[in-house]
Amino acid sequence: MTRQRFIFLSLAPALTVLGLLAAISTAGAVWFSVMNRALRSPDYEYVGFYNYLRLLRDKRFFNALEISLIWELITVTGTLAVAILLAVLVHETVKRPLWRNLICFAFLAPVLLPRVAAAFIWRFLYSPSLGLANWFADLFGIGPIEFLADPSIALVSVAVVDIWQWGLFFTVILVKLLETLPRDPIEAAMLDNARVWEIHAYVTLPMLKGPLISLVLVKAVESLRSFDLIFVMTGGGPGTATETLDLYAYQTGINLGGRVSYASAMSILLLIATTLAFTLIWRAGRKWSR
Amino acid sequence: MVSLILRNMARAALGLVVLVALTPILWTTLGAFKQLRDIVTPIPKLFFTPTLENFATILGNPTIRDGLVNSVIVVAVAVGIGAALGIPAAHTLARHARRYGDDVQFFVLSLRFMPPVAIAIPFIVIYLDLGIYDSLGGLILVYLVTTISTVIWLAVPAFDRVPREIEEAAAMEGCTEAEVFWRFSLPIAAPSLFGALVFTFVLVWNELLLALTLAAQNATLPVVAASITSLGKEVPWGVINAATVVLVLPPLVFIGLLMGLINTMVRGGGRAKG
Repeated sequence: MTRQRFIFLSLAPALTVLGLLAAISTAGAVWFSVMNRALRSPDYEYVGFYNYLRLLRDKRFFNALEISLIWELITVTGTLAVAILLAVLVHETVKRPLWRNLICFAFLAPVLLPRVAAAFIWRFLYSPSLGLANWFADLFGIGPIEFLADPSIALVSVAVVDIWQWGLFFTVILVKLLETLPRDPIEAAMLDNARVWEIHAYVTLPMLKGPLISLVLVKAVESLRSFDLIFVMTGGGPGTATETLDLYAYQTGINLGGRVSYASAMSILLLIATTLAFTLIWRAGRKWSR
Repeated sequence: MVSLILRNMARAALGLVVLVALTPILWTTLGAFKQLRDIVTPIPKLFFTPTLENFATILGNPTIRDGLVNSVIVVAVAVGIGAALGIPAAHTLARHARRYGDDVQFFVLSLRFMPPVAIAIPFIVIYLDLGIYDSLGGLILVYLVTTISTVIWLAVPAFDRVPREIEEAAAMEGCTEAEVFWRFSLPIAAPSLFGALVFTFVLVWNELLLALTLAAQNATLPVVAASITSLGKEVPWGVINAATVVLVLPPLVFIGLLMGLINTMVRGGGRAKG
């Protein structure tokens, strides 16, 4: 009996708070999405699916959707590619534990920076007139590059900062994971005269399939939280070139229009899409890594 | 011979990457001690007469000081409550409720899927209607979603690694579940738990969107920092750099702990990050 009570007492408060907050925000968003509530006036009435129907005809919404998808794609693949390449590089070239640890410390620093701080640091570096990045570009004879003001490269410029933070962080995790692998299969491959890249592509990385899938999932979830970085670096601009869904929802719902209901409809769609996508990935990931 | 060249090239490449990792941070730190005329130069300056002016501006600015105080209060309370509620729940999930464990863990993780705007927009209206908009308490309440779920997510694997034999032996000696948890599991898992709390701290300390929308006047440090650019006409790069340094310092102190956390997580079979 006491056992039951202990289990109940330890679980109930945490899950109640979490459940209530999740339920309130979800129910609130659903409720407001079928109203015509605005921030300025407290009066509102039921309008049915009006907001959702308007979203379907909103070009800026589809632009934001597209930017969000591109952002997810660039940052997730970029982070994983950087992490795998660098981890193999560190694993193969640095054998002394002291050096390896020092490098890991250096790689961990960026991810600990607040996103706002990282955004400022890179805005400073990217600055066309006084930034370090353009000074380097100048050394190679490339004219001043408008990293954040050129619509065609602004999104990539911001993604570089995200990859700078997360790619290096994941490198450290992968370096540590590579250290934990059993030596036998690797030595067997070496006896077969496999090249270094062959050993990693066919032996070590497949052995790390489970953790790698987890890393993809974690990164995909974290990439959704791009608001801070983009908000500080470009504010969604130039034009709407870097405006992701959360940025657009923020702009319409809070900052400019205060059209809470319209933004709620948008966040409900966003919520459904992400929950569906990640539930599927989570299930698939569990199956593969087993 | 070829392999020697290759190895040296690999080393050089690695050195370059370390440079890319650290230069932005060091450059900003340097910039924090520069006067504006040393920053606005066509050729970057490595040597200059340092000044503490920027830091004086920052610490003398009441908005930034309030932001610092608000940040400390909000983060301390949110992480504290998150730990008090999350750690016992994680222990029970790891030990007593294996059957429901997976579903509950998925629920907890799914809270991380929630787009922050989907939390921010309903709560801004609810808070306005209730009259608690722009209060620290309201912000803390919303942060509990992040802190409790992150603590549970990271603490379950920590308790998984506590040797079962110790808990069973303690139970044989007549300890109740609460005593086993308090006197044995908690101290043994403490190092990993501390890492989990630090990670949670960093997450909330860095948070911008919710703070920006729910506490516009009682802003936390990230919000204040994000608004500095609009101070006056000339972009005060030195002040921005100094503010960045102040914002960066607290999380950076914990770099060693994060390293320890990764080490224990990886040893735990590498599944904990999921």
